[in-house]
Amino acid sequence: MNKKHKFRRTVINSVFAAALLGGISVPTIADVKFGALYPLSGGLALLGEESFRGLELAVDQINKNGGVQGETVVLETGDAVDNNQAIGEARRLISQEDVKAIFGTYSSSRSIAASQVAEMSKVPYFELGAVADDVTDRGLDYVFRTNPTAYHMAKGIIDMLANDIALELNVDSTELRIGLIHEDSNYGSSVAKHQRAFAEQEGLNIVMEEHYPASIVDMSSIILLLKNKEVDVVLQTSYQDDSVLFLRQANERNYKPKAIIGGGGGYSMTPTAEAVGRDVIDGVYNVDFTQYNINPDIAPGIDDFVATYESKYQEAPRSGHSLMNYVGALGLLRAIDAGSGFSADEIKEAVLAMDVPIGKTAAGIGIKIGKNNQNERASMMGMQWQDGELVTVYPKDASVAEMRTNQ
Amino acid sequence: MELTISLVVNGLMLGSLYAMVSVGLTLIFGITKVINFAHGEFMMVGMLLAYVITSYLGVHPYLTLIFIIPLLFVLGVLVQKFLIEPLKDSDEHIQIFATVGLSIAMINLVLMIAGSNNFNTPASGMRHTLSLGPATVLTGQVVIMMCSIFMVGGLHLFLSRSQTGRAIRATAQNRNAAQLMGVHVSRINMVTFGIGIACVGIAAVLLSPLYPVNAQTGQSFVLIAFVIVVMGGLGSITGAFIAALIIGLVDSFAGFYLGSSLKDVAVFGIFLSVLIFRPSGLFGNARKLAHVS
Repeated sequence: MNKKHKFRRTVINSVFAAALLGGISVPTIADVKFGALYPLSGGLALLGEESFRGLELAVDQINKNGGVQGETVVLETGDAVDNNQAIGEARRLISQEDVKAIFGTYSSSRSIAASQVAEMSKVPYFELGAVADDVTDRGLDYVFRTNPTAYHMAKGIIDMLANDIALELNVDSTELRIGLIHEDSNYGSSVAKHQRAFAEQEGLNIVMEEHYPASIVDMSSIILLLKNKEVDVVLQTSYQDDSVLFLRQANERNYKPKAIIGGGGGYSMTPTAEAVGRDVIDGVYNVDFTQYNINPDIAPGIDDFVATYESKYQEAPRSGHSLMNYVGALGLLRAIDAGSGFSADEIKEAVLAMDVPIGKTAAGIGIKIGKNNQNERASMMGMQWQDGELVTVYPKDASVAEMRTNQ
Repeated sequence: MELTISLVVNGLMLGSLYAMVSVGLTLIFGITKVINFAHGEFMMVGMLLAYVITSYLGVHPYLTLIFIIPLLFVLGVLVQKFLIEPLKDSDEHIQIFATVGLSIAMINLVLMIAGSNNFNTPASGMRHTLSLGPATVLTGQVVIMMCSIFMVGGLHLFLSRSQTGRAIRATAQNRNAAQLMGVHVSRINMVTFGIGIACVGIAAVLLSPLYPVNAQTGQSFVLIAFVIVVMGGLGSITGAFIAALIIGLVDSFAGFYLGSSLKDVAVFGIFLSVLIFRPSGLFGNARKLAHVS
């Protein structure tokens, strides 16, 4: 009986040992694996997938030109449906797939959750699209971000308003009565916080601020308030539903401020314009990631990006998210290529050495990792809806059309 | 004065919209005693169907009622028969979990089929503005207001005058006694669930020209609908209607005077005070709550 047991144990042990040795002795193939963590199903899937396509195109381009440090880049995807799954998928990518770094994430809350896991495992985490301050403000060593953030969105909005829009309206910017309305999650609140700070610097007059849940179904009270406070310029930071609701109800209640400046997501998308009507959205401004109607001189490569995108996915890019992810990923992969290895510290060293000047990427931004591992050369562009198209109008060197006022 | 009129009109319009959504929930809650967490999702499905039919057949959204009312009625009957009925002897919590599960399944099914896009049913004239003194309303909102009144009146008549209506009320008051009197209780429950879901189908069609729909749309309305149902007195349709108007008015005034961020404090404050001072809701009575089920 005892002997039998001993024999069985020996067999099991030898099988394990063989498996272990076999595992170790497999020759390394010339591939380097990176994780791609995005919400690819669930409520955020549309723009999550759009963001992932940008990363995929960057990897295709890098592989076509010889890969990274001579090795072909292989992407292992993880689906960050919610925060818990983002954490689970980050763990899987790190421990089972043995990725050298993770790229992601589009959603700020998923990014904050997953990057914590990567940091603890000492795996570099590259954020290419989430905007909340907290992604890089937590003092983590291996979390880097290439895209512009809530701070840049607020800066873009206030700069565009104080400089160009006031000029276009032919008024002193300090005389404008400004109303801030925003959805009340981390996103809307952090943009509003920076808007207040920048407005103060510029001496602008914010006469009211209202925040509301993104699931709001009626904004007529807010519109009555805006009317009552005689607000000239409305700044809204919102998702799609609340952007549509506000623009529709403002129009129906005959509230016509001198300018409406939207922040991000909802205002950039063609379905929003279709929902509210092209005549209603005409003249509305928006500050967001770089979109496609931009001067190609300051965004070299944007036309090639669109062409490659269309040939691979058989449709036009659905938003600027793919472009921003592409630019960030391409910069990072090139930097890693110039580095000396794939350990966390070698990758970090390579990424910190990155130095891409402004106006030399397809999104017009530059890349230089600065304080808190945030790209200090990131910025957002100012756009305006004109005749059913979202055209870049700010800053001047990126613009393809003149600003228009409805005055 | 002008401002007050605007706020009152806005409040009443919003209130009747809430009433539309809550009536079906009240019926189900009050009679089958099932807390239907998937109520909002049935509305979302109704809105999506209205969008699909309108876009493909090019008909006026309101005409889709011909398809959607029977379809959602059958859907309600099936849910009651195959999901709720088999659980009738288990713990109440199990039924709640079943409807929560149904809600999650429906949201994800729609996400799988249609993605997370917004769908806009053509307005078809329902977004025309009308001036009521200083206030502006949409034609679609006026229709919702009138329909909610008809719906409440119609259901009231149905429950008090028709044979089935009386059987439904008998089941609500005492399931065992009703059964002894020859009422087919499980069939009555199926019919009630069907009617409740058909009601939210009507709401969905009337809402569809005014609101874009996506997989999550139901979630925006369902919490407030629960508040209205409880405030109105668990199962009282008139109560739910009045509660919905009150919530609409409070929402409108608080949104203006307290701001959107504090609006919910006012809404839920009123809700809590109703519960503290009239625990059975505005129109509920103790007998209804103490029924033996």
